[in-house]
Amino acid sequence: MSIKGLGKNLIITLPALFLFACSSTDTDTGPATTDTTQNQTTTTPQQPVKTAEELAAEANAKAREVRTVYFEFDDSTVKAEYQDLLKAHAWYLSRNPAVQIVVEGHCDERGTPEYNLALGERRGNSVKDILISYGVSSSQIRVVSYGEEKPANPAHNESAWSQNRRAILSYEG
Amino acid sequence: MKLLFKTLSLYFVSLSVSANVDIDIIIEEGMNFARPIAVVPFEYKGIAERPPHDIASVVAADLRRSGRFNPMPYNEMPEHPVTHKEVNLEAWKKKGIEAVVVGKVEELTPGQFTVSYQLIDVFKPKQKIEDGELVTNQDYLLLNRSGVASQQNYRFYSHQVADAIYEALTGERGAFATRIAYVTVDRTLVQPFQLYMADSDGFNPQRIFSSKEAIMSPTWTPDGRALAYVSFENGRSEIYLQHIYTGQRDMIAAFPGINSAPEFSPDGKKLALTLSKDGNAEIYILDLTTRQYRRLTYTTANVIDTEPSFSPDGRWIIFTSDRGGRPQIYRVSVNGGNAERITFEGEYNASATYTPDGKSIILVNRTNGVYHIAIQDIETGILQVLTDTMLDESPSLAPNGSMVIYATIHNGRQVLAAVSTDGRFKARLPAKRGEVKAPAWSPFLLN
Repeated sequence: MSIKGLGKNLIITLPALFLFACSSTDTDTGPATTDTTQNQTTTTPQQPVKTAEELAAEANAKAREVRTVYFEFDDSTVKAEYQDLLKAHAWYLSRNPAVQIVVEGHCDERGTPEYNLALGERRGNSVKDILISYGVSSSQIRVVSYGEEKPANPAHNESAWSQNRRAILSYEG
Repeated sequence: MKLLFKTLSLYFVSLSVSANVDIDIIIEEGMNFARPIAVVPFEYKGIAERPPHDIASVVAADLRRSGRFNPMPYNEMPEHPVTHKEVNLEAWKKKGIEAVVVGKVEELTPGQFTVSYQLIDVFKPKQKIEDGELVTNQDYLLLNRSGVASQQNYRFYSHQVADAIYEALTGERGAFATRIAYVTVDRTLVQPFQLYMADSDGFNPQRIFSSKEAIMSPTWTPDGRALAYVSFENGRSEIYLQHIYTGQRDMIAAFPGINSAPEFSPDGKKLALTLSKDGNAEIYILDLTTRQYRRLTYTTANVIDTEPSFSPDGRWIIFTSDRGGRPQIYRVSVNGGNAERITFEGEYNASATYTPDGKSIILVNRTNGVYHIAIQDIETGILQVLTDTMLDESPSLAPNGSMVIYATIHNGRQVLAAVSTDGRFKARLPAKRGEVKAPAWSPFLLN
């Protein structure tokens, strides 16, 4: 099973709780998530020790275990499937303004190394822009491009390339 | 190259190719265009039992590697003359040989070798009739030279002999007495990334820098005494300049964002480079005397401008830009202004450099998803693909414009390869271990 698939599953299996968490501060969340708030508060009395906020943080920590976003060949657009993942990281970062993160941009080996160094940066910036759109301060995010120099899989084939076209969210400290 | 060494091993049994070379050269294509010549082993008289290297075999291998010549194996030679006077032109003519090199080496004082050699045109008569009389004529003697080489520079001197012979036979300056810088990656090592330089035939590899982090884009100063390159030693791309003889090393650029693609102006006074400190990757020119940066390109957010390279007259910069959607080559005056797109064939053109005559550019072309090295005539715009290897990148031209060295994938490993700029001659340069990339051919070297 690919890492990509794993990431997708984690997002799907996330309790609705986390979406509630997002809605609690985000001003731009729609009415659908507001409904979730209602559902959530009524389905959690089994664990009275933990507050809704704590549960949300736990769910968020779980969601943030996924830190890699994969890209299409020669493309720096973040695919729709990663929006929830980035929302999860943004939720945490916006609540913890002292936390710094590095977004590493990587490419597969196809194309020239120098162009790829710039392409890796563009991928990192795409991720950064989305995090900012979810309320993270730009001063918390540093983008570092490694181009094609730090492959996750150093093999020279299609399977390796799909693992290497990525951005990694790396928490500092 | 290998065959030649085998035949000569009769003379120099202890001569070892593998002891001080990391890269072999395997010629794959193009010898059918090569002119038949002969390099007769040089006679040796000296204090030491044998000379430090076999000049004739180094010269013959150089000439073979140019793709222009096919030196005759030792055991097929009709005779083994030492001076031009002993050469029997008819004997060589019968073998189809066009030119013969003969020579000798004398060690007069320990470690000092006098090398004399001659190049003979087999098709020019040794005698001619002048005023009704038969006189000796030396028109057949294309070169008659001698020089002194030390123990240390003996092998490099052999490349200079090959340069002189190449120039006498082709009219084009030889580029054998040059070096190639390259990056090796061996992930089993504590410091997997190493920057090397070696002689143009892969001999005498010398490590310039090694690191736990990536090394990219080595490029020579025009005087051949220093290399600029990108190092990730501090966790991000930064540009360094390192003097190869003194070891002095200076940080050139470490701005926020990427610091990439350094390339010197022909006079060595400026460095073109890519920085993204102002948002996206743009071309800058650093004046190395005043340390002032000047931004050369201005594009909208998210556009990539990179891989700048100067024209031989220093007036233009060509660079890669995806301002039109896909990477293509553009040209702009070094003084700035509007950039003009100059490549139109294929979906991706990048990593361009001018040929020394300024009339063409060498670049990486992608057509139908396949990356090859290509040459494009600037005036006509005609593009010719030169290679048939896989995922070709990082082309670097020999200073005489005859050959391109580049990185490619062969048998699942990144290796270096070479192709002549007419596309006829092709060679692979497999490494002993690890992977090799980012080759940079030095300029002409004076010594």
